Amino acid sequence: MNKPKVKIFLVDDHPLVREWLTNLIHQQPDLIVCGESEDVPRALQKISAIKPDVAIVDISIKHGSGIELIKSLKALHPDVATIVLSMHDEKLYAERALRAGARGYVMKSETAKKVIMVIRQVLAGKIYMSESIAAVFAEKFVDGRLLASGSLVEQLSDRELETFQLLGKGYETRQVAEMMNVSMKTVQAHCAHIKEKLKLANAAELLREAVRWQENNPTG
Amino acid sequence: MQTEAAARICFFMFRWIEKFERRSHAFLAVVALGIVAIIGFVDFITGFETSYSIFYLLAIGLAAWFVGRGFAIFVSVLSVVVSLAGDLARGEHFSSPLIPAWNAIILLTFYLVVVWLLARLRAFHNNLEGQVRQRTAALTEEMAERERLERELLEISEREQRRIGQDLHDGLCQHLTGATLAGQVLEEKLAALNLSEAADAKKVVEIVEDGINLSRRLAKGLYPVEMEADGLMLALEEFAATSGELFKVSCRFECDSPVLIHDPATAGHLYRIAQEAVGNAIKHGKAGSILIRLDASEESTMLSIKDDGVGLPEPLPKNRGIGLRIMAHRSAMIGGIFKVRRDEPGGTLATCELQTKSKPK
Repeated sequence: MNKPKVKIFLVDDHPLVREWLTNLIHQQPDLIVCGESEDVPRALQKISAIKPDVAIVDISIKHGSGIELIKSLKALHPDVATIVLSMHDEKLYAERALRAGARGYVMKSETAKKVIMVIRQVLAGKIYMSESIAAVFAEKFVDGRLLASGSLVEQLSDRELETFQLLGKGYETRQVAEMMNVSMKTVQAHCAHIKEKLKLANAAELLREAVRWQENNPTG
Repeated sequence: MQTEAAARICFFMFRWIEKFERRSHAFLAVVALGIVAIIGFVDFITGFETSYSIFYLLAIGLAAWFVGRGFAIFVSVLSVVVSLAGDLARGEHFSSPLIPAWNAIILLTFYLVVVWLLARLRAFHNNLEGQVRQRTAALTEEMAERERLERELLEISEREQRRIGQDLHDGLCQHLTGATLAGQVLEEKLAALNLSEAADAKKVVEIVEDGINLSRRLAKGLYPVEMEADGLMLALEEFAATSGELFKVSCRFECDSPVLIHDPATAGHLYRIAQEAVGNAIKHGKAGSILIRLDASEESTMLSIKDDGVGLPEPLPKNRGIGLRIMAHRSAMIGGIFKVRRDEPGGTLATCELQTKSKPK
């Protein structure tokens, strides 16, 4: 008997993309599309039932975001390797998607040529990202900016850590100031110190880092 | 010198007239009668050789201008009677009893002519004032209407741009992605048959891929800010970087603590304001360095764009006025206050400030 085919599940709300992605995958002798969905709730339901090997997920889909779906899949079905196929700029979303648990990020404009290769790479246990994103990651790594999780956060003072945590929980600067009973100027000063200590380039990065840290280190 | 003095007198006269306009008719009538009484008394004690007839005109003028024609005629008659009675009371003798009557008639006629002239002047004045008011009201209405239309135009173009941008991004780009996948399937089939046409199919895939990138760039121009609350920070960061690169200037974006804009329309307008201000700084201001800031304080959220260029010209040329007005419109649409001014020591500072609407709990 032949080896069983690798089962792939598609989550994308564009029928044309689903149809031709299926056709392309079915040209490979060892891959098969085992199901598809255009929204998050049904995708979760079907994936639980079918237990595919790989899920290919678009970021902007009906009833929810692909990133949230990836997080759920990581929690509920850690065996399913997810690959993001997205029209969105990889500069903005690749890091978020990979941190959420995706094993690969492919821009839709490059999908046709790359998707099969990425599926194979992910099946081999590797993470895929484009060369330019890999270069950005490498630079951050060298600067020490990717290691912010543990050791660097410990350098924060108590008040800075509190600010960092509250931002991570989704509070705005104004609310943080009110909750900590200090002025916004003080919160801004805390933010400046946090950015410096964690080697973050800007406020947007600070926010993302805070959210990520909060997710990994939940505090009541 | 003389004209200056005349102008000053006119100025004070108008100030007094304005003050009197605000008083009630009854008060002014009492003032007029008081003046008649005072002048009548002075007339009485100084004797009949000196004529005071011209001074009564003050009371008559007051009555004619501020109170009404009927009252003015009454004051005229009263003035004649008072002046005549004063003279008679002092026991003056005239060679003929007809002389005082003759004098009184002459005086009364003179007063009545003055009253008539003043009443006509007053009517003309009122008419003119009414017309000016009417015209001003019409003009104000037209200006408001024009402003409303400009705003609507902006809103429509914003909405349409966003719609086209989204359609490009979510519709056309996805469709083209499907096309590249179909092309890839074809290429692999042709390659499996060992046909040289596989190379052509590959070319087709590449051409369509270029098409996807092209439409994504178009969509980005039409719809620059991503939907999420931190989208504006990211968009401004990217915008600062690309503008700096494109125009060979230093363009930085600074934001001390995270500023989240939850309403995508607000974020979009703030982005366009920054875009226009940076465009102005480069094109008109010849700036070498531009700083875009996004700040939040207890009371407000503020976007500011500062450059080191030549500053706003005085007066503003017409075509620049429009750009500034559109920025002000955008601010007004999102409930913000737009200000632009020359900055010290040089350059321009444009700001858009959004008041925090409700206090967070």
